[in-house]
Amino acid sequence: MLQYMIILLDDTSTSFCHYDVNTAKKRLINLDDLRAGIRMAMIENLTIQFVYPDYDLPQEYRDVIRTIDHSDIKPLTNATQETDVMTLDGWSWHVETQYLESRIVVIRTSLHDLLAHGDEVAVLLSKAQRLNVVITDVERFSDDQQVIYNEWLGKMGQEVERLYVNGTLPQFNLLTDRMILMTMNNCGAGNSCITLAPNGKFYICPAFYYENHEDSVGDLVNGIIIPNNQLYKLDNAPICRNCDSWQCKRCVWLNRKMTLEVNTPSHEQCVMAHLERNASRDLLLNIRKHGAFLPETPDIPKIDYLDPFDNINN
Amino acid sequence: MYPIKQESVEWQSGKAKNITFIVTKDCQLACKYCYLVGKNDKERMSWGTAKEAIDYILGHETDFPEESVVWEFIGGEPFLEIELIDRICDYLKVEMFRHGHHWFDSYRFSFSTNGINYHSEKVQQFIEKNHTHLSIGITIDGTHAKHDLNRIYKGNGPIEKGSYNDVVRNIPLWLEQFPGGGTKVTISSPDIPYICESVLHLYSLGIHEVNINCVFEDVWKDGDDRLYENQLIQLADAIIDGEYYKDYACSFFSEIIGKPLDPKLHNENWCGAGKMLAVDASGNFYPCTRFAAYSLREKHPIIIGNVYDGIDKNKLRPFLTLDRLTQSPRKCIECEIASGCAWCQGENYDAADTSTIYQRSTAICLMHKARVRANNYYWNKLYRKLELEGEREQFENNRPKLNDIIC
Repeated sequence: MLQYMIILLDDTSTSFCHYDVNTAKKRLINLDDLRAGIRMAMIENLTIQFVYPDYDLPQEYRDVIRTIDHSDIKPLTNATQETDVMTLDGWSWHVETQYLESRIVVIRTSLHDLLAHGDEVAVLLSKAQRLNVVITDVERFSDDQQVIYNEWLGKMGQEVERLYVNGTLPQFNLLTDRMILMTMNNCGAGNSCITLAPNGKFYICPAFYYENHEDSVGDLVNGIIIPNNQLYKLDNAPICRNCDSWQCKRCVWLNRKMTLEVNTPSHEQCVMAHLERNASRDLLLNIRKHGAFLPETPDIPKIDYLDPFDNINN
Repeated sequence: MYPIKQESVEWQSGKAKNITFIVTKDCQLACKYCYLVGKNDKERMSWGTAKEAIDYILGHETDFPEESVVWEFIGGEPFLEIELIDRICDYLKVEMFRHGHHWFDSYRFSFSTNGINYHSEKVQQFIEKNHTHLSIGITIDGTHAKHDLNRIYKGNGPIEKGSYNDVVRNIPLWLEQFPGGGTKVTISSPDIPYICESVLHLYSLGIHEVNINCVFEDVWKDGDDRLYENQLIQLADAIIDGEYYKDYACSFFSEIIGKPLDPKLHNENWCGAGKMLAVDASGNFYPCTRFAAYSLREKHPIIIGNVYDGIDKNKLRPFLTLDRLTQSPRKCIECEIASGCAWCQGENYDAADTSTIYQRSTAICLMHKARVRANNYYWNKLYRKLELEGEREQFENNRPKLNDIIC
């Protein structure tokens, strides 16, 4: 069931996920389309997340946006005190930057750069309300990188543990989400979440829009029509439905890009998610050595595989 | 007890990797029901591409752990490229031996041919050289009229020329060389009135095994299911009354079809796409020939790699995790006569609303139901006959194992 509507306010709206914004040409959503999108969200009881470009919107847009309860996703360059989610693209910013404090921060980075910026990640963990790391080159993750990524996750786990011992538990998507989840909690594109693009059409998620504008799943006149919508649901994903890497983003766009099917994750996505899951397991065990922690939550079981596909086919 | 003829089980069924060389996209015929929409005489496999494919496959032995291999040659009409095929097979034998490959001496060469140049010197020399490792099926659709209804020569302008006479002349030679040879018959809407007489005609030619399936494409007209049922019941009467069941098999009638399927115990995929491998003249790999461009009406081909870069295993994952329930609509999951209802993954993909292999086409639903009704009639009649003749108990004790051949 749909619960969220993402509205891209401009073609240059910031990316907060795996996809790249592949245009520098500004195109604001038509004001009437914005109003119609908001009206539809109200009728359908959808929570809106507005995604902003790096420039200030005209006053009439701000007035329309103010008519509905919502969340704002903005690039650091355009962030304000009211910004809910702030996106950082790469590492050309300073950890003392204003507004990092007590915000949800999304960092988009290559794996190589992430591994080289562990110190900055550690600082962000201590400052931000929540840190979401989005690795933008999942498709190039090789089995040779497993060891180094695993080691990095271990170091970050030690940092989270240190912060916990000092009285704060940071939220970090790669390590703490799996500790507190009791079931799958994925992106939800095409299932619980839909995107309204600046051209007034609906897409499974922003990535589908940027990849191919012809790939829409409805518009503001005819409504949302998702063919084969069952394939976006967990029950129809044979690899994922029995998996317990519950923190996995399960990115349906990456799925389609890598395997040609929205319901089938790539080997790379599965292995990365399982390394994070296993690091979460270690972290949970280590934190519990300091005393009771999440007593209602069971331990994360030890497993002997990194790709659940191997279990299905062996 | 007299024997009851059963369909033969495919060689190393379930244990063999099926690897298909699409050696040409050309054919002498232009069969009206042919799913190959992109046939042409330009895309012929070169020796260089074939060699690259063989070198890649045999050089990656651990990626192909299956006990045995069926090297299949398909077209178009594969025997149009008999010289290339002969060279490929010679090279395969040498290389499997040289690699000490586990497939050495556990392989077959398999062909499905229209039979037109079966008698030619080059084809016959090839058969003589490889006979002990060969499976060859000749496609003949039935009576002269039925066969020529669809299996016509290409490029004759407004006058259609059937191929029956050129095929049937080679049947005795084929049966002499492959006495157990079976034929594959494809049924489309216009063929329905000819089913009964066609099967009996094939029996009369000495073919003891007739494997038939309806095309999976959405070609059926209102009332076709009733016509089909009537034809199958006529055929059932003829087979039982004429006691053909003792020496002849027909895949229409099978004890395993028409039963409900358990969602957990019977959740496997029907089709072997993805477990097979096909390679075409460009050196592209496909999960089955049905995913090559020349087989698809609406969709882009699904290419899973090529002979130079190898196989992209990510693109095989959807095929290897596909199960019955995930791709089936509710009506199929709840169907009480689901067993034996087949599907073709390629046709599912081609007919799907999106680019997915996870949407099962149900174009043959009514035809399957008609087949089940006729099948019920067949077994009720046969059981009763056996009972009256005192043979039922022995039959039950010696129940034949059936092997549904679907594509």
